[in-house]
Amino acid sequence: MQELGSSLYQPQRQSIWAVVLILLKYLRVIARQMWPILLIVLIKPTEGRGLMVTLIALGVAFLSFIYAIVSYRRYYYFIQNNELCVRSGVFRKIVLNVPFDRIQSVDFKQNIIHQFFNVVSVQVDTAGSKGSELEIDAISLPHAEELRNTVLAYKKTHAAEVAESEGGIPPIPAMEEPPELIMALSPKDLMKVGISSNHLRTAAIIFAFFVGLADDVEQLLDWDVWGQLDDTTIAASILSFLVILLAVPLLLFVSFFITLIRTVLKYYDLKFWRDGNSYKVVSGLLTRNEKSIQRSKIQIIQWVTSPLKRMFGIFQMNIYQATSVNQGKDKSLVIPGCYMEQVEHTLDTIVPKFRDAVFTAHTMHPAIVILMVCIFGFIPALGFGFLAWYTGSIVQWILVLIFPLAIWMGILYQRKRKLRIHPDYIVSEGGIFGTTNKLIEIYKIQSVTIHSSPMQRRRGVTSLHIYTAGGDIAFPYINAQVAKQARNYILYRAEVEKKSWM
Amino acid sequence: MTQPEELFNNVQIDLSALPDADEMEMISLEPAYKKVRYIVAGMINLFIITASWIFVFLQAEYLEFIYIPASVVTLIAIWIVIYNGLSFHYMSYAMREKDISYKSGWLWKSITTVPFNRVQHCDIRQGLIDRQFGLSKLTIYTAGGNSADLMIPGLLPGTAERIKNYILNSTEQSIETE
Repeated sequence: MQELGSSLYQPQRQSIWAVVLILLKYLRVIARQMWPILLIVLIKPTEGRGLMVTLIALGVAFLSFIYAIVSYRRYYYFIQNNELCVRSGVFRKIVLNVPFDRIQSVDFKQNIIHQFFNVVSVQVDTAGSKGSELEIDAISLPHAEELRNTVLAYKKTHAAEVAESEGGIPPIPAMEEPPELIMALSPKDLMKVGISSNHLRTAAIIFAFFVGLADDVEQLLDWDVWGQLDDTTIAASILSFLVILLAVPLLLFVSFFITLIRTVLKYYDLKFWRDGNSYKVVSGLLTRNEKSIQRSKIQIIQWVTSPLKRMFGIFQMNIYQATSVNQGKDKSLVIPGCYMEQVEHTLDTIVPKFRDAVFTAHTMHPAIVILMVCIFGFIPALGFGFLAWYTGSIVQWILVLIFPLAIWMGILYQRKRKLRIHPDYIVSEGGIFGTTNKLIEIYKIQSVTIHSSPMQRRRGVTSLHIYTAGGDIAFPYINAQVAKQARNYILYRAEVEKKSWM
Repeated sequence: MTQPEELFNNVQIDLSALPDADEMEMISLEPAYKKVRYIVAGMINLFIITASWIFVFLQAEYLEFIYIPASVVTLIAIWIVIYNGLSFHYMSYAMREKDISYKSGWLWKSITTVPFNRVQHCDIRQGLIDRQFGLSKLTIYTAGGNSADLMIPGLLPGTAERIKNYILNSTEQSIETE
């Protein structure tokens, strides 16, 4: 290990297998850009062009190979003055220095090719500025671990120094205790997660994908996909009824399997660790993903259950951390298939006093049902209305069902949506069929907005929006007086709090 | 429906003694900014109105009653311009020792407050039309993302600069005392 440690300070190349991975990365980018052309070439091979296409493909592959070798040979990484430095670039030179202070996390990723060559790709996340994220395509696992340990060791000692120089209490050296495995997802639980996933969402994605694909194919190949479908479906309305009767279960069946496969690929052998003050999730079948979050960076903890999940007694837990703008949710930890004990245990380690806290609950005004009926009723009704107008098939019967369904959903939503508040915490509870809980520590809130529409003012309600660095939470129809007091209290807490919010 | 009127059932803190962000003396924006709002909204909506009527004249032969949606669009566009101008009177800001608030909206009201110790950075911008009227726009960024940022338009450049310096000073102080 010592040899490795010292070699990190010398500019060095990645593992030789990086060439393969870089090459694949380029080919993937090219394929993604060119896929409509590739599709045409594959479907409609024009005579005499076969040779040319082969030559072009070979040429592209050859150039990509050369490019991969050159970019491998010009890529160096090393550590210098507590900065992680990367020198790269084929046509122009790219110099990237990331100070250890700015590094938020060092994550590893292994797809099947990485696993084959026994290397990992390293993703370094930095605070703030976009475009300064750093990725090393392939280095050996010991090198990667050495790199991460160096960064973490620096951050730990540096944090202690800062605390001491400010006269504060030096942080307890808790890192000595061995990592604790909070949860390991067994194959049986993995199946539960897969079965209880949101199949309707997958169905919607498949549906949208085929609609989009049909349009693309139509444009590219002059095939009248919809026309052909129309001929068969409108020919006889009984037939169209049968088609829908068959297509809907088939779609659900297919989406069920797709979600199941996706779940297995994504969450296979998931392990959730607590290592001192950081939380780590490792998962995946073909691609092993590793993500970690430091405890101080956690902003929102969410646990969700749905009717299917409730049957199995499982929750999905999401841990959101402070992110810079536009980076989205992929920096959160997702831990599906947790049992209540595991959720509670995690909460205890992150927010020790939370479970003993006594909360005051505030519900939303019943008028929110009207808003929900607009969202779940009028908007879908408009869409289906147009569809029914054009096709005149059984779609119009869905219209009859929409409003009772929307009212029911609105009532369920109103019953569940709650603001639970304690002097230190806010819990947002909500959901229609399932239940979503979000926990925020009040001192981590960044800003507060109160909105009100004329209708809301007439009923003495407002919407309260609270913003954290890991996401926003809105309470849409809350008593105006309560919202105001909550706002004043949150501001007071944020302003007097000496603890850093991350 | 009996809703508790108090935030906490077991009050440890006297909530009424907390500073109320609504009871502040609000400062209005520069009057010239009203013109800027009318001009900007007017230009955008004039474009929309023109485009919709051009469409009507081109399609009149094929589609009956197309002037009805076009008239609705026109009315909405005119309403937006008027709303934009009138809502100027409802835009104001206020600073306290530890935070800054911005209030806006005539029918749809909102008030956002950002504590100084949560400010990441500030910037001052001047749009093309702003410049003609000698106005600036101050944006205060927090780590809470785009919608959590606070934007105060219609300020004199000197005022914007003063507010910015005051905020950055307070932010620095709050960090030092921590």
